[in-house]
Amino acid sequence: MQNEVAEIDVASTTGGLKLARKNSGPAPLKQKKHSNRIFWLQMSPALLILLLMTIAPAIFLITKSLTNDSLLNSTSDFVGLQNYQAILTDTSLLHSARVTAIFVVLAVLIEMVFGLFLAQFLYQKSRANSVAGALLIIPFAVAPAVAAMIFRELLNPNYGWINYFMGLVGLPANVDWLGNPLTAWSALLFLDVWQWTPFVTLILIAGMSSLPPEPLEAASVDGANAWQIFRHVSFRLLAPFIGIALVLRTIQAFKTFDSFLILTGGGPGDATSPINLEIYRVALQSFRVGYASAMAILLLIMTSILTPVLLRILGRATQTEVEK
Amino acid sequence: MVRLIATSTKGENMLHIKKEGSGLMAKLRLLVVAVLAIGLVASATPSNAAQKAPKQIRILYATAEANSAAVQAALPSFKAKTGVQLVMDTMPYNALQTKVFAEFAVKSSYYDIVIVDTPWSPALAQNLEPLSGYMTNASLNNLAPLNPADFIPKVFYDTAVYNVKNPSLHYPKPTATVDPAAIKKAGFDVYGLPIQANALALAYRKDLFNNAAQKAAFKKVAGRELTVPKTLDEFTEVAEFFTQPDKKLYGTTLMAGTGDWSTDDFKTLLAAFGGDGYMIGNNQELNFNSAAGVKALTYYRNLIKSGFTPPGTTSASWDEVATMFNSGLTAMTMNYHDLKLDASIAGGEIGYAKVPAGNSEGPHFGTWMLSVNKYSKNKEWGYRAAQWLTSAAQSTAMLQKGIHPARNSVYTAAGKLSDPNLAAYYKTLKQALAVGAGRPRLTNYGEVNAVIFTMVNNVATGKLEPKPALAAAAVEVTKVLASAGYKVP
Repeated sequence: MQNEVAEIDVASTTGGLKLARKNSGPAPLKQKKHSNRIFWLQMSPALLILLLMTIAPAIFLITKSLTNDSLLNSTSDFVGLQNYQAILTDTSLLHSARVTAIFVVLAVLIEMVFGLFLAQFLYQKSRANSVAGALLIIPFAVAPAVAAMIFRELLNPNYGWINYFMGLVGLPANVDWLGNPLTAWSALLFLDVWQWTPFVTLILIAGMSSLPPEPLEAASVDGANAWQIFRHVSFRLLAPFIGIALVLRTIQAFKTFDSFLILTGGGPGDATSPINLEIYRVALQSFRVGYASAMAILLLIMTSILTPVLLRILGRATQTEVEK
Repeated sequence: MVRLIATSTKGENMLHIKKEGSGLMAKLRLLVVAVLAIGLVASATPSNAAQKAPKQIRILYATAEANSAAVQAALPSFKAKTGVQLVMDTMPYNALQTKVFAEFAVKSSYYDIVIVDTPWSPALAQNLEPLSGYMTNASLNNLAPLNPADFIPKVFYDTAVYNVKNPSLHYPKPTATVDPAAIKKAGFDVYGLPIQANALALAYRKDLFNNAAQKAAFKKVAGRELTVPKTLDEFTEVAEFFTQPDKKLYGTTLMAGTGDWSTDDFKTLLAAFGGDGYMIGNNQELNFNSAAGVKALTYYRNLIKSGFTPPGTTSASWDEVATMFNSGLTAMTMNYHDLKLDASIAGGEIGYAKVPAGNSEGPHFGTWMLSVNKYSKNKEWGYRAAQWLTSAAQSTAMLQKGIHPARNSVYTAAGKLSDPNLAAYYKTLKQALAVGAGRPRLTNYGEVNAVIFTMVNNVATGKLEPKPALAAAAVEVTKVLASAGYKVP
């Protein structure tokens, strides 16, 4: 142990803390083999569960996506990549993929900005902030379907509260919020931001509470203003937490379904029809399992590619900050 | 199946006995022949000998969509009559559809009776027990008279009669008196018994239509008496007359939001303008993309564009238009059920009529049926329970709870109900059911429907013009049908 040096690579490109252990000399071969065996033995229960819970269903899904399987058909033929070809050349599905992407980018971006902003005010320990923290839990504790139903009532052009209060202050009181693409999109984004910004805020509050005070104090002593401290110190140190919030929210946003189904039903027209709504129709209304599996796999590939990309972008951004 | 194998085995034994030849053997042979004959008859039709009564029969049912409260109230009487308990699980529409398909996918015998909505039937038919044999077996119809001729023909054929080899086909004689033998002879069979028949009907504010001041004002404007509209032109005229946004009153509602409901509005108008109310033919002809389709969409769009419908029409569902009408926001509405004005509307009264016709008519209708699970272990008792629940006596008893019956005799009884509002509704419902147009029979109707209601909504909001919208929808529907294995001519 004497000749081992531990090095902490803080400026990790993955945006997280990376611990790299460098050894000055190789361990004896026998000892290495033994420790390898113990490592795999200890890991095997977790790997087995992982295999059963994630890998096996994924393989099953991929297999199904190569067939024309339908829930009630006794026969299922191998169709190769036909399902993928049909999906990738279907203009309405590509439109749905675009709707999903736009929703994810806008919703997550707004939530990250608002979440960071709120966290700046709420992370310091005080009685008021404790109450605010407790209240923050409420929106994302509400079931998304229930939240969507309540929003639909609030936005009702004839009886909803939104139009009523707009009328009281002299604004148009008969806006058909869900009948116009722009306002329908606004409603969907508002609902998502209302529901999920607190989630981001809570993660960032936890992050801010765990930051060492010394760098902040040092920056303050050096004469940095609040914005400079936030931009060059807090933001940099918060990068791992921002990364976690970003990745979790992105994956969750890709899975959003209830609010689309209940609030807009994909309308007006197909202006707010995401890929999940299409998967629902194919999988749970027509029960075409093969085709729906191919759609799900493509969505999975999209999220799987996006997650490391987001982390890399975040890591690069913080790296640039350090270099500056 | 087992019986047929046994028959064959016994047949071989019989031949062997014959070779040995003796008087006793001849008698034995006669006995075996008699047993075989009984066995063959029994295997061809449901058993004449009553199946042993199970302790309970399980039913998978909908919630308010198919009036579960009315059916639930009838269940104790069945136990009192037969000793068999009917256990009913209810689920809302989307969850029910998933549950029904999942049950059949694993060939589960858990539920003996399953409620089936018409859009699901083409995909499910092969999993439902064909019932014509049960219907013609007197011993299985002794709990209540079956009287098949009592069913409204259009409702019965549209809901329950399928050719399982080609589930896209509709019965060729949709107005013929219901006769299970004739159905079987035509290559079809019965896959359920109708329990809740829904049809689009017009509801109007009777108090407004009978108001002397309104009548005089209308006569002054239109030059004729104010009457309940029977034609589409009259409908527009009356809707325009009642529209007074400053008084928070509009002519009519329309269900133009993205959902099944806007397809139903469209297909009703399509039929009224002389088109095929089913939209897609037995051989997947895209009949909605027609001159009648353009007229229907143009008419629909113009009603909304003219402001005769309240704000929110282009995002409204059947539920929301009911709220609009019940709260006094409109003078007329079209919906699948009876309505009740809010207590705050002093003197408010509702009248019902068939939806206005053009040069023809075909209001949308769709009926739920009770089907016997093909994999059930209690098929005979499942049938007996379904038959009893859909009998004239039980349907009549369920009227008070608002069931929508499928039998003519029950509508006669409905005319004598003490609630005049309900009695008036039933009178109109019967008329609508007699001329209604159902849905096309497709295994992926949900996807086709999504294309059509998106198109209708796009026209309603003014995003697309009727003709190009129909043409684009036809291209899209063709693709969707092809993906499910259909060939569009």
